[in-house]
Amino acid sequence: MDKQLIIRGLRRSPLSKFLLWILPWVALLGLGLYAGYLCLARGLNQTNMDNRFAFGLWIYLDLTIIALGAGAFFTGFLLYILKKDQLKAVINSAVVLGLICYSGAIVVLMVDVGQPLRAWFTFWHPNVHSMLTEVTFCITCYLTVLLVEYAPLVLRNRKLRQIPSLLVFEFHLHKVMYVLAGVGTFLSFFHQGSLGGLYGVLRGRPFAFREGIGIWPSTFFLFILSAIAAGPSFILLTTWLVSKLSKKELVKREVLSLLGRISGILLMVYVLFKTIDTLIWINHTAPASGFNPFDFYSWEPFGTWLLFAEIVVCGLLPAIILLDKKRREQTGWLVSAAFLVCVGVMLNRFVFTIQTLALPTLPFDRFLSYVPSWQETATFLAVVAYGVLIYSLSFRYLPLFPQEKELRQS
Amino acid sequence: MFPGVYGFTWEPGNLIFLGIFYSVVAIILGTMGIVLVRSLKDFQSQKADQIRWKLDFEDLPEGNRTCRHELTGEFRHRTCERGFDCRECPDHAKLVASKIRTIHPGYETGDEEGCILGFDMPLERQYHRGHTWVMTEPDGTTTVGLDDFGSRLIGEPDEVRLPAAGTSLHLNGTAWHFKKNGSDLRILSPVDGEVIQTGGKKAGWYLKLKPLGKKMDTRHLLRGAEIRPWLAREMERLEFSLAADGVGMSLADGGALVEDLSKEYPSLDWDAVWGQMFLEP
Repeated sequence: MDKQLIIRGLRRSPLSKFLLWILPWVALLGLGLYAGYLCLARGLNQTNMDNRFAFGLWIYLDLTIIALGAGAFFTGFLLYILKKDQLKAVINSAVVLGLICYSGAIVVLMVDVGQPLRAWFTFWHPNVHSMLTEVTFCITCYLTVLLVEYAPLVLRNRKLRQIPSLLVFEFHLHKVMYVLAGVGTFLSFFHQGSLGGLYGVLRGRPFAFREGIGIWPSTFFLFILSAIAAGPSFILLTTWLVSKLSKKELVKREVLSLLGRISGILLMVYVLFKTIDTLIWINHTAPASGFNPFDFYSWEPFGTWLLFAEIVVCGLLPAIILLDKKRREQTGWLVSAAFLVCVGVMLNRFVFTIQTLALPTLPFDRFLSYVPSWQETATFLAVVAYGVLIYSLSFRYLPLFPQEKELRQS
Repeated sequence: MFPGVYGFTWEPGNLIFLGIFYSVVAIILGTMGIVLVRSLKDFQSQKADQIRWKLDFEDLPEGNRTCRHELTGEFRHRTCERGFDCRECPDHAKLVASKIRTIHPGYETGDEEGCILGFDMPLERQYHRGHTWVMTEPDGTTTVGLDDFGSRLIGEPDEVRLPAAGTSLHLNGTAWHFKKNGSDLRILSPVDGEVIQTGGKKAGWYLKLKPLGKKMDTRHLLRGAEIRPWLAREMERLEFSLAADGVGMSLADGGALVEDLSKEYPSLDWDAVWGQMFLEP
């Protein structure tokens, strides 16, 4: 039965080996579900967050995976709207990654917000002046779009394809994919921006507060830029990782190079704007609020090294590597640079979520420290396990990499 | 969210935000509605088989979509974009009508009658790219069967499912199914027609069809001098498929294919090889 579900011409590991691979992830998912249940049933006292440290590991996870998941909408935009046909080779994988990232983020948010029976309040009584409302609406709509984009991929499973009605449905669904890609791009731009804007408008947190254009602080635009720069790198990195783990060539080498080049160009633009933004913040925004910006970096371990690591080591350096054709052609350099880009965006979201809340802002404040509880950590790991499981099942039974068959034959 | 609901105000911000949100929802729902209507329409008009072939054809590697006129040397390189249906192809019509149509001379020589590259391929039959043959009978009906190349690839099938009399077949739709070693494959119909008779194992698995229209249109089928270069390319394709599983280039030039190739290499992924050769990737 298992063999009948695998796409014709693709080689996958024996079922026993596959089950052995997914077993620990299932166990981790189980533990996380239990932890999530504890948080929902007993409340947020199960976590180490409090009224002062209200954003913890979960919000950090949300921001990070949503930034990395931007690869889905941006690849869709490049393929269906800008007609970069080479990206057909990774679009299916990008959609799966996007779906995992967004659905994982929503599940964690539901545990974090709690009161699932009142989840509809956010839609029925929206506060239209809140960045979070925009985020909620956009993420919900975009998850729906991702589910619709994932559907044709599932329907391409060998067994499901035998059912004529599903085949016809998949065919027509695929034909309108450019509309969904356009909607996805629109939604993603806004919620990536709103997540950034959320920090930029925090006047009470001068470390994060930024000036900007109109109602949008600079972080609104920087979050969009960093997400679309990191998205292609994340797809590159996962494709390379899956290729190594499965010991199969999945895409042509030039596809990885193209992803690297796109990421490099966008990253360079981001680094430029991030540098300008940081200089404005150091020289104008922070002093105008009565702060010496370097005081924010006097609280160890959050020293200036973090700023340097974020902008130079994980920004400028990979951008230079990815823009250098010679280096890009060498897999070691390409993958290392993509890895640095992903670490960079993770670091950026960490700084905005954790460092912002840890730093004291009033004279009587103290530097706060926060270590997530086991329930928080288990829920976090469950999302990782959920991602690995969905991706593993999709890789085994769905045509994630259309070039794989051709590459195997050559 | 809606006028009258607690928290709703007639402010521009409210209206703009909710207006954008409802527009997005309307686009998503509208798109899905269009997809459902189109799907229902095509499903009811039994277009599933045509759609299946369209998708399968797109999935074929470029090397498996070679135009018949490249095989004969009339084009240096040309990939078919019409699902091997030459009936509506303007270039094919022009080439056939042209008196200067030239076929590479090297392809026309050296075969015994009815035996091409070691395969029994009578020239009075016409051939479909999915390895079926078509013969027009004097009474206007058409007989369809699996060609010698295809028969040697499959060998002895475990099960064959022929369509019932009265079934309408469409070009590149499913003609019949065979099962072997757990693989379930469909054989493509080489023409449009209605099944009037079927032949079982002893008769060599054939279908007898009557045309769906006034006359059977066979312009898309390979014939005469086209058969040899096509078979040569099919041998290459087969070698290529076998090479992917580590057999290597093992078909010596000049030799004939054995009666049941799958028996000779039982450990191969025959499901993939058959899929490639019978155009069901």
